[in-house]
Amino acid sequence: MADKSEYRGRLIAIDGSRGKDTNAAAAALIEALKAKRVECALSRFDASGLFGELAAATRGDRQISARTLTLVYAADLAFRLRWEIRPVLEAGGVVIASPYVETAVAFGIACELRDEWIRELLRFAPKPSLRARAEERKINKGWKPRLDRGYAEYCAAMLEASSPRLASKAARREAVALLNRPRGRKVFRLSDKGVDALVKALTGSLRAAPNRSASKPRSARR
Amino acid sequence: MDAARKLIAERDRSRGLLIAFEGPDGSGKTTQRKLLARWLESRDHQVVSTRWASSALVKPLLKVRKKIRTLSTEEYSLLHAVDFRHRVETSILPALWAGKTVLADRYLFTALARDAARGLDLDWLLNAYSPLLWPDLVLYFSMTPEASRRRIASTRAPHFYEAGQDVTGMEDPLASYSRFIDRVVKEYNNLSVVFQFVTVDAGEAVYRQHMQVRQFVERAEKRPWSAFSEDAVREWLTKANIGAA
Repeated sequence: MADKSEYRGRLIAIDGSRGKDTNAAAAALIEALKAKRVECALSRFDASGLFGELAAATRGDRQISARTLTLVYAADLAFRLRWEIRPVLEAGGVVIASPYVETAVAFGIACELRDEWIRELLRFAPKPSLRARAEERKINKGWKPRLDRGYAEYCAAMLEASSPRLASKAARREAVALLNRPRGRKVFRLSDKGVDALVKALTGSLRAAPNRSASKPRSARR
Repeated sequence: MDAARKLIAERDRSRGLLIAFEGPDGSGKTTQRKLLARWLESRDHQVVSTRWASSALVKPLLKVRKKIRTLSTEEYSLLHAVDFRHRVETSILPALWAGKTVLADRYLFTALARDAARGLDLDWLLNAYSPLLWPDLVLYFSMTPEASRRRIASTRAPHFYEAGQDVTGMEDPLASYSRFIDRVVKEYNNLSVVFQFVTVDAGEAVYRQHMQVRQFVERAEKRPWSAFSEDAVREWLTKANIGAA
């Protein structure tokens, strides 16, 4: 299940506690890469349309749990990997996934789900070549329940009735603290300087290993 | 003992029984589920039936994606897990808690058998469906792959995903079904040992099967929630804001 393919391309994961911030960080990074003449693709939350359809289906009766929403996130990510991320990686291009795995993990834990459950669920997602964090803004506020901003804001809107704690500052602070926790690999902070550092790291890695072998197609167990 | 654990242990005495009907397509699960429901109702039991991929939330999403055949193996599996979790939280657990008997026309073992037959890892699947709400009784309607193929062929052409065409890559639905159901039945047979299914011979006459099902149900004992399903029940209690959980 775990995707250990060696891709020719580069995957940059941008995670953060608010969709508004990860969207802004992704846009800033794309601009900076364009200036260096590096073309890149962008994979965003709800490319599959599942979340949008779910919101429409539950209008007026939102009996949905954080666990169910995490499963939907996994289905959406599987869709994004198939249509937006892997094709670019296999062709040797650069793709930004904003948000990626850590966003779902941090938000899930803030909703009292277990870290191991979420990571095991999302283990089909390949490890990113470079990891980045959106600069967190309005850090002293909870999530604004909105269906059109990003994953955390969407969940806050969907879970508003059943988990009012989610809109609190404490829950968001917990998610931010989890995102800040070191996990062994360098994470670029996407402030102005951080964007430059990430672009430098990416262009450096593209120069260093431009012709890695293409990944083998994934095959079924038997 | 904390308050939630105490509440769960107390409710175990009055809660309803969860009975799962499993088996390959065409094995007669739905017929037997309906017969059992009628029999239980005649004995003043309150019965709730729940079918696979039937939640109002996910059914439309799945239906349209199945129709245009756009689902990958992981997406197919995950959307069924979404449907299952939603039904557990909004219909199965509330009914059991209220003392009703729940008859599940396919349960999580359907996902394990079909998705493992599609090549997905069993550990990953079990994680996706956890925390598990264990059924008290799993009735497995056993039949050979050939018998399942014959029954399906005599009534209809199997759908794209039902036939496993997404993994076999075969154009002919029946030929694909023959190959796919072979794997599914193998997975079911493995699961039946690990999870202690009670086997009913789906080749027997409908009435004889029904009499056998009655006997199994009469003899069924509850699998204590506190030992088997505490995490699932506790999570639901918290979400539903019941008791001190």
